Amino acid sequence: MSEYTVVGQTVARVDAVEKVTGAAQYGADVHPPGMLYGKLVRSKHAHANIRSIDTSEAEKLPGVRAIITQDDVPSGRRVFATDKVLYLGEPLAAVAATDPDIAEEAAELIKIDYEVLPVVQDVMESIKPSAPRLHGDDTKDGPNRREISGQIRKLSRDKENDHSGEISKLEAELEAYPDEVYYNISAESHTEAGDVEKGFAESDVVVEDTYVIPRVHQTYMEPHVSVASADSSGKVTVWASTQGPFAIRSGIAGTLGIPLTQINVIGTTMGGGFGGRFGVIITHVPAVLLSQKTGRPVRVQMTREEEFTDGRPAPGCVIKLKTGATNDGRILAREALAFWDSGSVSGASIGSTIRVRGVYKIPNLKISAYGVHTNKSGTAAYRAPGAPQAIFAGESQLDEIAERIGMDPVKFRLMNMREEGDTVPAGGEEPKVGYKETLEAVADAAGWWDREAGENQGWGVAVGDWTNGCGPGGVYVSVHEDGSARIFHGSMDITGTDTAISQIIAEILTVPYESVTIRRGDTDSAPYSTGSGGSVVTFTMGNTAKLAAEDAHRRVLELASERLNTNVDNLELKDGEVHIISAEPPKSISLGELAAYSLSTTGGPIVGKGSFARQASTPALAAQIAKVEVDPSTGRTRVLKLVASQDVGFAINPMAVEGQIEGGTVQGYAWAMMEEMQYDENGNVNPGFVDYRVPTSADLPTVESVIVEVPAPNGPYGAKGVGEPPITPTLATMANAVKDAIGVRITELPIKPEKVVQALKSNGHSV
Amino acid sequence: MAKLPVSLTINGDEHDLLIEPRKTLLAVLRDTIGLTGTKEGCSTGDCGACTVIVDGKAVTSCMVLGVTASGKEITTIEGLASDGELHPVQQAFINTGGYQCGFCTPGFIMASKALIDENPDRTEEEFRHALGGNICRCTGYTKILEAVLKAAEEIRTTT
Repeated sequence: MSEYTVVGQTVARVDAVEKVTGAAQYGADVHPPGMLYGKLVRSKHAHANIRSIDTSEAEKLPGVRAIITQDDVPSGRRVFATDKVLYLGEPLAAVAATDPDIAEEAAELIKIDYEVLPVVQDVMESIKPSAPRLHGDDTKDGPNRREISGQIRKLSRDKENDHSGEISKLEAELEAYPDEVYYNISAESHTEAGDVEKGFAESDVVVEDTYVIPRVHQTYMEPHVSVASADSSGKVTVWASTQGPFAIRSGIAGTLGIPLTQINVIGTTMGGGFGGRFGVIITHVPAVLLSQKTGRPVRVQMTREEEFTDGRPAPGCVIKLKTGATNDGRILAREALAFWDSGSVSGASIGSTIRVRGVYKIPNLKISAYGVHTNKSGTAAYRAPGAPQAIFAGESQLDEIAERIGMDPVKFRLMNMREEGDTVPAGGEEPKVGYKETLEAVADAAGWWDREAGENQGWGVAVGDWTNGCGPGGVYVSVHEDGSARIFHGSMDITGTDTAISQIIAEILTVPYESVTIRRGDTDSAPYSTGSGGSVVTFTMGNTAKLAAEDAHRRVLELASERLNTNVDNLELKDGEVHIISAEPPKSISLGELAAYSLSTTGGPIVGKGSFARQASTPALAAQIAKVEVDPSTGRTRVLKLVASQDVGFAINPMAVEGQIEGGTVQGYAWAMMEEMQYDENGNVNPGFVDYRVPTSADLPTVESVIVEVPAPNGPYGAKGVGEPPITPTLATMANAVKDAIGVRITELPIKPEKVVQALKSNGHSV
Repeated sequence: MAKLPVSLTINGDEHDLLIEPRKTLLAVLRDTIGLTGTKEGCSTGDCGACTVIVDGKAVTSCMVLGVTASGKEITTIEGLASDGELHPVQQAFINTGGYQCGFCTPGFIMASKALIDENPDRTEEEFRHALGGNICRCTGYTKILEAVLKAAEEIRTTT
């Protein structure tokens, strides 16, 4: 029996009724009087010089109110491309008109003279000297050259001694790596622990493979949208469907040179984000510019096609991975070289390559990662950014090792998992995490230990780790004369976080969940709040809410001590009433009475304040098992069973937590089996749901979720962020299941039917 | 563009409108009438977020021109609850947690209602396939199916 009455219970979400009745107001539902419709004018080529932009025809179209280009950006910060475009769909101008169809017509009438340039879309082509160069000085040495050049630089700096002999020897060594100079590099990251060469030498089995993971779109159901209204005093109001209103405020301020206090960002209900809804340039800045120019509110709303060509999806990557282990199952070394497709700008989550270390005791680790430019849009976060890609490689290769040494994949993982106090490779000390408990839980729930597989059937297992972020937040809670409580804060609800916050407040104030209401303020009114991404909200705002409720609780006892004429130490708040402990006859006063009384006291109304920014988070593990059946004649894979467990620390609302596990797992399934943004020399070629297939209910069976609770020391009631972990292992879970079914390892996602057929053919099957 | 006269019955209310022939039923509902509960997710008929019920059938309103809906009876998400009571499908989505961000929810609820009205005896597998025209990116569908099956059961037993 739980010691709690509200947290840990499944309750209907605070936004339940508005979401099932169509009343919830999303970005595109905002329609201020006199609103104009904005449309971005986009490049029709993936790489081209711009000779000229002619807006004269478009200006003549009745209903057009403004056309802007980079010349209309007073700060000079890049909003639109000017002399050169680097991807299909890159914005060149924007139109505002009285009707969305007129805006679209006007955009079509703008004539752009292009000089088309050679295009590169594949990272492994882009790093070659023959590739077209997208930016200026962007050449980097590969890991071996880098190491040797570093030694040469170090020796050359020592002017006291003569190192010329050693230097010429090293220079000769450099020549052994003529192809290790990479072009079009946007960023690099290198990590090392132990000595991998030694580790591989001591290994009985060494496996090396190249894994290819495609670029996929977050595919939130609501396309990007913003409505901006600039008044004549210079005040700018932006209704934004965003994960981070405060980040949008500072982004607009920085890009357009408007003082922070002159910008109010009103976060609307958000139709999904998954990390892709933080960017400021996409629609918010053009909407503000158009509104400033026309003096009227302007809505800029992207179409689904625009989402695919100019969204900020998750980066694809190529990971060369090498793992060494002993015959008795100890992993000794792992080395990764990764090339992440960052598109036309830098910013791919290359640092996440470290996730190949998994949750295992790998004493020797070496990781090199590069961001590589291609003629695509830039990238952004997508649910545990970078982790699904790296973990796909890491967990696929673990199964290959397990097979070679003849160990059960679950036992092999359990044997190598880190425990409390172990050293995290290239990290600190491992805290208490339910790694083994979570894997064992999924194995038990899925029936792994006595699993059976018919013909063409297979089972796959994988685990993925992720640690929730943390950030600043503020919460106020007021207690009213009717005993109800009202919460005020500034953080965007991301699928249930407002509900979790409300449950925490209700728990501490010992009132029914139904008597707590919550309001989100805009950036003008609410205390600063971190963006709703990185699984931060329940951890951060939960802690903040707890502090606010405890502050209110203190004031409640203070008031009660005045009313009941006793010391606060003799009082306890229970079931919405303050009691004198073990008083006979019982003596108590209700929260409502205290709230009413407070209005005539010197100390005033009951207002609790919570403010919080940072405390160490604890990793979470997601473990999954799939059973599949592959049709060898068509290559089609059918999921028969998909079980997902997760160490959530503490489930504040179990139904919402299950929903996160189920949803994340299905997104992982989709990345493994279906989704891939495809590009040719003209740019993205599948910008719609017919060619970019996402799963529907017809594609999958029920996902069975298993909640494991190993409390996080600093989480509210032990809770960890739950949103991101479930996507991390699914790519490998599916690949491992397909391997088990067909006997061939597929290392390039997605595992579409044609790839399965090819794999079977290459393995000598007649299909 | 020349506008044409159109008469629509929306959630029981009659609307006589002048609309451009290029405007979709979705645009008419959202921009002309101001019923924004129906969502625009793709504009190509592939995601189902704009599903409304026209003369008893679930349709994607982004694929229907407003002028061709003239004379028809249209039910949107706003017209589902009656006398302050949620429709059983709406209540079931709340009880099972069959929604998260909620953007696809109006479309899912309307599609589910039309399917249940047509035949509440479908099996889970049949509902899974029948709802294949609606995309949800948050839930993974497990709790949506649970909601639809519960609502179907309730409607079966109470009617």
